[in-house]
Amino acid sequence: MPEFTSRRGLLFGAAAVSAGALVTGCTSNESSDDEPAANDQPAADDKPGKQVTIGFAGPQADHGWLNAINDNAKKRAEKYSDVTLEITEGSNDTAQQIGQIETLINKKVDVLVILPADGKALTQVGLKAMRAGIPVVNLDRIFNTPQAYRCWVGGDNYGMGLNAGHYIGEKLKDKQGAKVVELAGLDNLELTKQRTQGFDDALKNYPNIQKVARQAAEFTVESGQAKMAQLLQAQSQIDALWNHDDDQGVGALRAIEQAGRDEFLMVGGAGALSAFEAIKADNGVLKATVLYPPTMAASAIDLARALGQGKGVSGLAEFEIPSSVTCYSAVVDKENVDQYMSTGFK
Amino acid sequence: MTQPVSPPRDSAPKVPSAGEKPAWRAVLFRADVRTLSLLGVLAVLILIGGITKPDQFLDTRNLQLVLTQASVIGVVTVGMTFVIISGGIDLSVGAIVALSSVWATTVATQEFGFAGILFTAVLVGLGCGLVNGVLIAYGGMVPFIATLAMLASARGLALQITDGRTQIVTVDGVLDLGERDSYVLGIPPLVLVFAAVTVVGWLLLNRTTFGRRSVAVGGNAEAARLAGIDVRRQRLYLYLLSGLCCGIAAFLLIVLAGSGQNTNGNLYELDAIAAAIIGGTLLTGGRGTIVGSVLGVLIFTTITNIFALNNLQSDVQQIAKGAIIVAAVLVQRRTASTT
Amino acid sequence: MAPQPPLLSMSGITKSFPGVRALDGVDLDVQAGEVHCLLGQNGAGKSTLIKVLAGAHQPDTGTIRWRGEDVTLRSPIAAMRLGIATIYQELDLVEHLSVAENVHLGHEPTAAGFVVRGRAARSSTAELLKRLGHPEVDPARLVGELSAAQQQIVSMARALSHDVRLIVMDEPSAALDPDEVDNLFRIVGDLTADGVAVVYISHRLEEIRRIGDRVTVLKDGRAVAGGLPAKSTPTREVVALMTGRNVEYVFPERPAAAPRGEPVLTVEGLSREGEFAPLDLQVRPGEIVGLAGLVGSGRSEILETIYGARKPDTGRVLVDGRPLRPGSVRAAVRAGLGLAPEERKAQALLMLESVTRNVSVSSMSRFAKAGWIDRGAELGAARAAVRELSLRPDNPDVPVRTLSGGNQQKAVLARWLLRGCRVLLLDEPTRGVDVGARAELYAVVRRLADEGLAVLLVSSEVPEVLGLADRVLVLREGSVVHTAPARELDEHRVLDLVMEGSPAS
Repeated sequence: MPEFTSRRGLLFGAAAVSAGALVTGCTSNESSDDEPAANDQPAADDKPGKQVTIGFAGPQADHGWLNAINDNAKKRAEKYSDVTLEITEGSNDTAQQIGQIETLINKKVDVLVILPADGKALTQVGLKAMRAGIPVVNLDRIFNTPQAYRCWVGGDNYGMGLNAGHYIGEKLKDKQGAKVVELAGLDNLELTKQRTQGFDDALKNYPNIQKVARQAAEFTVESGQAKMAQLLQAQSQIDALWNHDDDQGVGALRAIEQAGRDEFLMVGGAGALSAFEAIKADNGVLKATVLYPPTMAASAIDLARALGQGKGVSGLAEFEIPSSVTCYSAVVDKENVDQYMSTGFK
Repeated sequence: MTQPVSPPRDSAPKVPSAGEKPAWRAVLFRADVRTLSLLGVLAVLILIGGITKPDQFLDTRNLQLVLTQASVIGVVTVGMTFVIISGGIDLSVGAIVALSSVWATTVATQEFGFAGILFTAVLVGLGCGLVNGVLIAYGGMVPFIATLAMLASARGLALQITDGRTQIVTVDGVLDLGERDSYVLGIPPLVLVFAAVTVVGWLLLNRTTFGRRSVAVGGNAEAARLAGIDVRRQRLYLYLLSGLCCGIAAFLLIVLAGSGQNTNGNLYELDAIAAAIIGGTLLTGGRGTIVGSVLGVLIFTTITNIFALNNLQSDVQQIAKGAIIVAAVLVQRRTASTT
Repeated sequence: MAPQPPLLSMSGITKSFPGVRALDGVDLDVQAGEVHCLLGQNGAGKSTLIKVLAGAHQPDTGTIRWRGEDVTLRSPIAAMRLGIATIYQELDLVEHLSVAENVHLGHEPTAAGFVVRGRAARSSTAELLKRLGHPEVDPARLVGELSAAQQQIVSMARALSHDVRLIVMDEPSAALDPDEVDNLFRIVGDLTADGVAVVYISHRLEEIRRIGDRVTVLKDGRAVAGGLPAKSTPTREVVALMTGRNVEYVFPERPAAAPRGEPVLTVEGLSREGEFAPLDLQVRPGEIVGLAGLVGSGRSEILETIYGARKPDTGRVLVDGRPLRPGSVRAAVRAGLGLAPEERKAQALLMLESVTRNVSVSSMSRFAKAGWIDRGAELGAARAAVRELSLRPDNPDVPVRTLSGGNQQKAVLARWLLRGCRVLLLDEPTRGVDVGARAELYAVVRRLADEGLAVLLVSSEVPEVLGLADRVLVLREGSVVHTAPARELDEHRVLDLVMEGSPAS
């Protein structure tokens, strides 16, 4: 199949390249201010090596971020002529996903990349793959035991909350009696609790700021609108809002607009394109968003390829790839939004 | 040859016989007990809201907010009430709302502006209702299964259309409807639509042959068939009606959220069924009221509002919702058995 | 009979429900080994009494003595432990369980306290079924696959699977064919010979005469007579006790002249495979045609096929010479047919609704403009129809479920009257209607015929067909074996035809 047969292909190809550019930023725990796009060097050797078949199993892409995960993985794999990607139909059903992964094991793929629908429930099948000699790259939602994966790569939910809290804290540090509200995500997810914890811990550094209200939405526009409308009704005046998720943020912004409120600053989460665009335009309350980078899927493909070819990660002294990679939750605001624009997901 | 037997053309009211009045009042009284108990619950909630958060709760804006939030699920519940009264169930309402809202907000649809969005939302709703209706009425499928299948496929199709992406609405006419400038005498347009659907639903159920037939089909489908009612066609119409309500609700949701998303209408089926049940609609069919269902919706929305204003979290909200459903059904069983 | 204390002695039993005093000081004595019959019209309190006896209802006052000792029957289980078993009219079997599982439901033979010993259950069930004269019923079969009669046998086997001393049977013969009834009586005889007492409830006096020892008659929640000799008490006296009036079936006069005119209903060669053979019949305005036959002779199926509720394999139905679309109830109703089905509650009535809405349901469009119902006109018309049939109470706003069986039947007739129906199909019109109300219903049907209605009547009660119809078609196994004017037939002759199929002289 010829590459870049259509304009669409071309566009996506370009997106994949710039997504690749971010991987170094993602894998580096030190700094988010790495040189932008210029450093277009992928994690492992770019030259074609041994053929590697990577099995990829993820949940159903019913959310912009998950969709971006799939795209990142696919585009990254297309970039390498020595990588064959076996991608399953995404499923939120644990049993179905287990079945899909077992099929991949039976097909004897070289490396598995798994974003489990439920990390705990899929631990067993991760173990099974490892025992069968197939190294597993566990993406984001972590298995119960490190025995079930060779390498974990994922986001930093606590860090998201922490960075959002610090960003807001710095903006409001001179204001006495500042009021902050939090629009959280689905409350029955562990990651929501971690984000809230990080946010609360960061705010402890700023005694002048008080979190006056918190409501949990469901990562959907509809719930974001509904919960935000109630929050605004409950709090007649606030100084800042942290919203866990840019998708529900679309609804939250709608509610803010409908209520005619603009006295506060809003920080989002995840890194949706619409959020980046709003930040760049700087004509509303949304001033920044904290990343939960979907480019981690591209990194996972890089790591899987390196594993399959028995190589290390360039730029590190180690012979082997790390056992765990935590992506940094960078704060994107007007200053650096251009750098991230291409990673924004719809 | 034609001898219609004693056609009572003289419909002039006759002198009421003895013993008539108490029975008539008993019927009225029973209807009132149900409605009154729901109004009582609502009054208690308003009292709680007023005491805990007097400034924020007892506020015109909050009233507008609660009614607006109730509008989308309210319209769905009116359609669901008809379906349940007829002895059916529609598990696909949430999915139809999602599909309609997504189909109506694609880039292609938005090119046709306001009318395009409204028309598409309603048409997709009707289309899904038609499929449900045909499968159930003429395909002989059990409503639970047919609408469950519709739930799965409509959600799937919605996902396929969006690829999981949020479709932002850029048509100003649609967006404006959700903003304060377009309130009519302080009433949000969404609430006006909800009120209109409620009134039309009430009239349809209580004053028309359509309503009568729905109740008859739900009360005893075999008896309705042998009485000469076209039960299958009636069922088809009922699922069409539910689909229509979903389409209208999808449009309201587009206005409210300024976007379409495949996750829209999440668990609407459960909310609508719950509201209808606490409103006094029998899950087995044959009895139910629009007023009760609408009060059920308002009770749920008010609870959510009070909890949010008091900064209580969603776990507590869900527990309270479950408790209300149980309490309402128990109260109704009691009132039903004593009258 | 030896002067031993009665097996069961209930005295002064009262039981009230909101608004109704169902039992008002009832006494009942039952001796071991006797068949004690309970008679009474619908609503006389029979059902409530046996539910008290079964432990399903708690009496408000009164005492129950069992083998000389005071007992309280707190629950059905308590009653069962004492040895009281009840076979309800509406069988309480689980369709999706096997015969053996049903028989042993709640007291399964178990190993280690919870492991069901299926084989033991099946063999003991087979034993019971053999004793009940039905060894052909397979204990492993699902109850839902059995016939009504076989299900009743299963119900009885369940009762006998306990150590039973008293069995209550609520209208056990209602759904049975004659030879099934014979088998039932044989079982009852066996049981009483073993010293088991049977409380037997039936509407059929002739059955009571055959197997009963003593009779207790209930009326309005009281026992108006207790312990009458079943074989020798005159019918007239029993009927008088039940009704408080001294009446028997009274059939209205037939009109002097036979109905003339073109037939309004014509059936030509109508048949359904396995149900009834090709049938021809005609009904003229003003004429009542009766179909007599046993359960399973295809009577209900014929009516339902004429009505379009079943699709015929061959033949056609014409009204005024115009054929109806086969298998379409709506076409039949539009052409002027109306059906009062056998299962009134299940097939005709909207039990949650008022009389008005039950009456108007088939003629709604008459009161509606563009679907909009004129409720004043509807109520007025319903009221007029209700008056015309002397339905009581005459207030059409009351819920139809509060009406007695006879008045519910009148509500169904009022529906078709209002519709302006021209051919009335009556399927077992007096089932569940008490003796007193029957005569009134017969009069109503005759009056409707006199006003020009054509009536096709089906009944398993031969005297009813003979008394009410002008012309009778006798059915046997789906075929018409004889047709004659009703006055040329008697009950004996019809039964001969039905049983033998011989055109006996």
